[in-house]
Parts: sequence; structure tokens; C-alpha cells
Amino acid sequence: MKIIVCVKQVPSSNEVRLDPVRKTIIRDSSEAVINPFDVTAAEAAVQIREKLGGTVTALSMGIPASERLLRDEIARGADNAVLLTDRAFAGADTLATSYTLSKAIEDLGGADLILCGKMATDGDTAQIGPELASWLNLPCVTDVSALLEVTEKQIICRRNTDAGAETVNVSLPAVLTIVKNLTTPRLPSIEGIRRSLKADLKILDAKGLGADPARIGLDGSPTQVIRTFPQQEKGEAVPFEKSEAASEVKKLWEEL
Amino acid sequence: MNDLILTADRIGAEYLRDESRSTGTAQFAVFAKSCEDVRTALRFAEENDLPVTIQGGRTGLAGAAVPDGGLILTLSGMDRLTGMAYENGKYILFAEPGVVLLELRKQISTRKIDTSGWSEESRQVFSRFFTDKEQFFPTDPTETSATLGGMTACNASGARSFRYGAMRGHVGGLKMILADGRTVKIRRGECFAKGLSACLPCEDGSSVEFKLPSYKMPDVKNASGYYSAPDMDLIDLLIGSDGTLGVITELQLILEPLPEAIWGASFLFEKEKNALTFVNLVRSEKSVVSLEYFDAGALEILREQKAAGSAFASLPEVPECIQSIVYAELHCTDEETALERLLLLGGLAEKAGGSEKDTWVARNTGDLDGLMFFRHAVPESTNMKIDALRKKEPSLTKMGSDMSVPDDKLFEVMDLYRNGIEKLGLRSAIWGHIGNNHLHVNLLPSSAEDAARVKEMFLSWAAKVTQMGGAVSAEHGVGKLKASFLEIMYGPEHIEEMRAVKRAFDPAWRLGNGNLFSKEGGVK
Repeated sequence: MKIIVCVKQVPSSNEVRLDPVRKTIIRDSSEAVINPFDVTAAEAAVQIREKLGGTVTALSMGIPASERLLRDEIARGADNAVLLTDRAFAGADTLATSYTLSKAIEDLGGADLILCGKMATDGDTAQIGPELASWLNLPCVTDVSALLEVTEKQIICRRNTDAGAETVNVSLPAVLTIVKNLTTPRLPSIEGIRRSLKADLKILDAKGLGADPARIGLDGSPTQVIRTFPQQEKGEAVPFEKSEAASEVKKLWEEL
Repeated sequence: MNDLILTADRIGAEYLRDESRSTGTAQFAVFAKSCEDVRTALRFAEENDLPVTIQGGRTGLAGAAVPDGGLILTLSGMDRLTGMAYENGKYILFAEPGVVLLELRKQISTRKIDTSGWSEESRQVFSRFFTDKEQFFPTDPTETSATLGGMTACNASGARSFRYGAMRGHVGGLKMILADGRTVKIRRGECFAKGLSACLPCEDGSSVEFKLPSYKMPDVKNASGYYSAPDMDLIDLLIGSDGTLGVITELQLILEPLPEAIWGASFLFEKEKNALTFVNLVRSEKSVVSLEYFDAGALEILREQKAAGSAFASLPEVPECIQSIVYAELHCTDEETALERLLLLGGLAEKAGGSEKDTWVARNTGDLDGLMFFRHAVPESTNMKIDALRKKEPSLTKMGSDMSVPDDKLFEVMDLYRNGIEKLGLRSAIWGHIGNNHLHVNLLPSSAEDAARVKEMFLSWAAKVTQMGGAVSAEHGVGKLKASFLEIMYGPEHIEEMRAVKRAFDPAWRLGNGNLFSKEGGVK
């Protein structure tokens, strides 16, 4: 089975620190990792390949430094990886990103199964999988929490819904988005790391993909982020002794 | 009676025991929030001739915080970080003894520290710290609910002590209130013994004069008895004194810059001897800051807990054929170096009879947390087994050894352990800091008779480990449970020398009754 897993680089932590003087976000301590939902999706892909044979390709759109994380996916069991990197891709929203990824999947000759993480921990949109399916005209099952039966032709899976869970039978090819606890991702071995260092990694730019310039990057993005800022902490705890409680509460009440 | 003094009926049962699962008794308790509270407690103890047991997080494994009657002095309410300095290129964090390690780590890494009440000078250092390279505190005992005071009292260490050393090396100064209320304030590098003669000045102008014990400490990881060496820095005596010399009320912690690349790797072996060979090959590698071990017994218990669907269900599967795991943590200046060192370790694992396939590598925080969870799950799952045994036989306590030997004795000491365990025929789990040849051998007795046999075996091990040039307690401290081992390690004359030190600080024998040694001659 030919499986493509879409992965994204995200900051490892949602904790942000503000420079007390400049009031800007300090980014030094935030290491880049593969979106944890995507790591689970990649593990599911490797498990399917171990059962049915085939290949697993990790696909990402990102900055050149994302190559390191794609090699990490190879160390974790993917057979190869493709990085889409070009300044023209910068500023892409989910629509432009999913279009770009769909062009790469077409370039790779399609796939029997495309797996995505349910969402990314930095954007939380959960839109890439369904949009990708739409571009490729494939069925899509979102929020998949268990793969009950996987064959070359179809997948029976369980998906989370607002009301609980439902079992879905989907014919392949299809796009599935995977929740984080579907399985426990394995850690890479040193052998895998050695393999990843030698592996050929395909790097494609916008021209190489034959992408429509009007559909990629900022130009292809109907939504744009105007400003990002950390939420201001509103609450404040004021400790005081029991004996002073009444007067302190009164004081606070007056201040408010 | 002062509101601060709680009577026995108001003392929760948890304050009568610690993580060693041994229990004691107490008539009174004080939950101190300030140095003044500590002095009030000590005055009350003096007026009523009560022994005083100092407590922190009660996570100790040697019973040092278990009260032996009298008054419990709990310092967990003294939990503030009180200032910061920058000296010789290092940040020094001032902390009260009740600060919990987990909280300390969190505050350092997020740099969210409550600086209210700090001096202007401290605040200025904090501003620099806030935007500077990330720092960390290297001492890392497994139990992160330990308090800094407790960690100092027993000279705690942890996995990273293999490279960074124990707590002692990371305490730059401390304040201690003696049993009679006097205060000793000492900073590293300012007060030394002359040979074995020592004179420690107090803040009121008086001093404590004493003679240091004349034993030569073993050249291994060691938390057994008072630290003693000719011309030593006297702060090193107070660190590791097991709550017997005074009440630590302030600590100056030396922070280190966090390395750029922190990676972890677990090496799985089908044979224990291959794992030990790997350890001997790896221990000189400078980038390795910890070398941890899990034996077949520990892995079997872990598999059982995982299968039972407990909190450990998400742990990685360890194949049945795997008998031993060695975990190594690497600290490097950059990822390129880390990769180079990791591949070198892979080659050494193959040389020792392992395989690069049978490894788990963590190269980011999330994966490292996974390997840490595994490491912590091993003692936790064994503790769960012990708790289950205690339901049938409440007198049972945790029975684990804490001995260390020199590098060239690793195979020999493992033979000693294996033969002993086989003779007893009890279930066991061995884990610990194998880089320092410091393994915790845990036995699971099911009856009081079994427990007595285990204790006897541990005593015989203490003698043999001493002969090998080792230490009877490498990190847990001696407390009450290992006092008899200390006598074996140093002999009655040296124990008497330690008693003389104790008497100089605490003539009324008020503090830490039963810790390290008994008041009078003879082993408790």
C-alpha cells in the first residue's frame, strides 16, 4: 500500500514568555518538533505498512530547516520524505497549504491512503485533511481514533464525534485525520537514525510542483493573520490573613 | 500553648511516616513558615525536653524524617525563592528549604518567579536571568516532590549526578539554625577546617568547635555519614548531615546553563552481562551525564503493571527477550555533536553484544519526557507491588539497597547481588545509577520472616561492599533505617567520632534522634 503522511513543524511548547521591557515574545526556548498529531498519524502509517507492505512517504511544506524533522520521521519508520519549500509558499493559510500539498501528492502519483494529524498544535484549525481530500476529490474521515480493519481496498475505523463515536467503512484511496491517542508512537532507533541520514530526501519548489502561483502562499490565502499576541492574564490572587479578611475584601470591593 | 504548636491529635498520619514506609510517633508538630517559627519550635522543645525531627517532603527512603517521639518540625511551608545573585558567571538562587524540586524546576524553566519582597539587587539579577540563556538545577532525584532542604540534608543525587555530582556541589551557601537557636551562615569557600580541627562561627559571635572524624571516605558516590576530610570546606559537613546538626532555613543554589542539546537513549540488551560491558565501555564518554539501569525483574514488574491497564499502559513494549535496559542521557553543546556522540554509543552497544536496532532515542522534549516516564515508572510499579504486599502484611517496609562500589567492581557486586537474591528465592527488581556502580536492589518479601532474611542479607552486603571500597548508602542518606550499615562501614571508633561532632552542635541531642547513629554507643 502506498501511504503518504502529511506532517508539519510546530513549536514544542505553547508556553510563551514576554520580554518585560520590549513586550515582545521571546522565542529562544521553543524548539521545533513535528506536530504530535502527525507523529501519531505517521506511526499508524508505519504499522499499516508493517502489516500490508508498501511504502510510507512523509510530506511537509515548510522552511528548509524542516528537513531535519522529515529525516526524524524516516528514523521513526517512514521510507522516504518530500519537503516543499519555497519563499512563494510563505504566508499560506490552510487553503493554500492544502492546495500545495495536493499538488505534491499528484506529483508523487497519488496514494492509496493519505493520513494527516487531526490538527496542528500551533494553529488548531483541523482543516488541512478535509481540504486536501477536497482538492484530490477523495473521501475523508476525520477524528479517527481507531483503525479496526485495514485492507488494500478499504478501512473500517472508529471516529470521534460530538455525540460520541461512530464506525465508518471507507473505500480507498481516502484521506484520514488521526487523533493523538490512536496509538503510541515509537521512538527512533539508532539504526533508524543512521538510515535517515543516508536517505534521499526530495525537495520541491513551487515551479517544480507546477503549482498555480495565484493559489499558493499569501496570494492564494483568503484568510490572513493580522496580529498575534499572548492572552493577558486577568486574574490575581491576593492572600491575606483570616483576621484581616473582612477589611481586605471590603478594600478590594471598593477598588473594583 | 503557642498556636504554632499542634498537639498529637491534630497531626495527620502522613507526618508520622516517609517514603521508606516506616512509621513513628510524635507528641507535637510545628509547621514553620519562618525562621522565627523554627526558633519558637526549638525553644518549646528545649523547655519540654523533646526530641525534634525535621521534615521536608518526606520523600526520603531511609526514615530520616520519621519522628522518634517528641516534636515534628515541618519546613514545607517555608517554600519561597527569596532572591538571586550572579557570581563568577553563575546564577545563584536563594531558596527556603520547603521549596519542592518540581516547583523549582518549573520556576527556573518558565522564569515565572514571584519576586515580591526581593531586594533591588536581586531584582536586577532576575532581569538579566529572564532574558539570558536558559538555566537549570542539575540535581535530579527521581522523586520530584522532594524539598530542597531534604535534598541538602541527605546530599541527594539522581541520574545526572553521574556527571554533575550530588547536591553538595550545587549548594553555594546555607543558613542553619542550631538546636540552641544560634544561627550559622556559611558560604562555600569561606570557612575551612585546619587539618581535622574545625571552628564554625555563629552569627552572634560565638562558635562551634569540634574535631572532624578521621576516617577516609570511599572514593565512590557516597551519602554515608558526615562528610569529613582534612582542610575541608565546612559547608560540606552541614550538607548531608541528615537533620542531626541543625535546621537548614536558607539555601543558595548554583544554577548551570542548560545545554543546547539534551538527548536520551535507551539501550536494550538480551543479556545482563552485555549491558554491564556496555556500561564499562561508555562511562568515560564525557557527553553522557547519566547512565541508568533496569534489570529483568524490574522490566517484568513493569510489563505486569502495563498489562493491568494502569497509568503505565502507554509505556513502550519491551520485548520478552530483553533482560536489561541501560538509559544514557547526553548533554552536548549542539545537535551535530550530540548526533556524533549518539552514533558512537550505538557502536559501543554493538561491541558489547547489543544492537543499534534495539534502542530508543529521544531527541526532543516530548520524547525525553516519554523516556523519563519509563524511568520513573520502574520504581513506581515496584512500590505498587510493595503496597499490595503490605495490605496482607502491614509490618513490611520497602526493602531496597543503596550501595555503591568502585568502577572495577561492577561485575563483582552484581554477582554478589544475584547470588544473594537466588539464595533467598524472593522476587526482586534492580534499577539505579549504574554509571556510578550504584544500584538499588529491591526485594519483595511477603512475610516478616522474609523481611528479616533480607535485612540480614543487606547487612552482609554492607560488609562486602565496604571491603570492595564502596559505600553503604550512596544517595538516600543513612537516616534511621541504615544506621546499622554505617556502623559496619566505619566501625565503632569512627561512629564515636561522629557522635562527638553531633554533641558539639547539639549537646542536648535534640535533633534527628536515631538518624545516623544512636545517642549512646551501640547500634540502634
